[in-house]
Amino acid sequence: MGFTLLLAAALLIVTAGIPRADEAAPIAQIKKVTGQAAVLRSGERRPANVGDVLLVKDVIETGPGGAIGITFIDNTVFSAGPSSQIALDEFRFDSNDFRGAMLADMRQGTLAVVSGDIARSTPGAMKVKTPTAILGVRGTTFAVQVNGDH
Amino acid sequence: MIRRTILTLASMVLLAGCPRQALFVVLPNAEGGGTGAITVDDGKTMTTLDQPYAAAESRAGSSAPVEESREDIGAIFERAVAAQPILPHHFRLYFVLGSDEMTPESKVAYRTVFDDIKQRPVYEIEVIGFTDTVGDAPYNQALSLTRAAAIRGALVRDGLDRRAISIAGRGKHDLLAPTADQTPEPRNRRVEITVR
Repeated sequence: MGFTLLLAAALLIVTAGIPRADEAAPIAQIKKVTGQAAVLRSGERRPANVGDVLLVKDVIETGPGGAIGITFIDNTVFSAGPSSQIALDEFRFDSNDFRGAMLADMRQGTLAVVSGDIARSTPGAMKVKTPTAILGVRGTTFAVQVNGDH
Repeated sequence: MIRRTILTLASMVLLAGCPRQALFVVLPNAEGGGTGAITVDDGKTMTTLDQPYAAAESRAGSSAPVEESREDIGAIFERAVAAQPILPHHFRLYFVLGSDEMTPESKVAYRTVFDDIKQRPVYEIEVIGFTDTVGDAPYNQALSLTRAAAIRGALVRDGLDRRAISIAGRGKHDLLAPTADQTPEPRNRRVEITVR
């Protein structure tokens, strides 16, 4: 009984120390914020601050006068204008061979992108999803506008 | 044939009457380099855009190329583009044979790296060390890491945040100038630095 409890406690300590690979690792850093901008993480909305790191599944949001600029660890750069909502659905990157995959879900607003190592090393691996179409990136500077409901 | 044309025309007119749901634009590359391409896939058709200011739009769920003036594109994306952070930059610094001391030229170039970092409100720096092929693998692995650590040490002495600087060593792997083994080659004795 005592031993079982001890084992359970030990297991708890061990597993608590293991970061979940898909969630714990920073994938980007907030570099620039203008006006209202927030990060939605696990259902909780917190103000976006320069220097904050972003995790996979985070959603970045800007208010009517807001804008935000972020740089991913593969050197992809996103900048979003006012009233934007972009979910960082998938992100994998191996800094040894520069390969990976990325999927951003652009729900609303304006987004300018300078693609980085993932798009360069892995053709077809970087995608931006919008409500009407999926954008595939072969490596370039581009912009997307998604209009809200009319 | 005529009927199909009329139908196509009719659907185009109908689509034009629907509000624009999305706009996709290729922008000129910010810091030079060749223009790449994007594809827009609406599930039925795939549109490829590969010229600066080439655009496609979605109406009623369908996407097609569209002419959009540079002025309009500039206005639509003005705030998003203005929010763009300073782009990531890459640098190479070179070293004296068998040493973690920079070459005289690279000691000068180091200032450029430092100045680039200093202009950023927040920064992340990756320093990866490399060697030429003189010596065995363990020696070069250690030397490459020592070179990366030397650069981190210099940056920290100059006031940068150590926690924002990661280092790694690749030994005599990934030669910049491929050579035979045991070949001194100045271009391979380097660190590669990414600043973002």
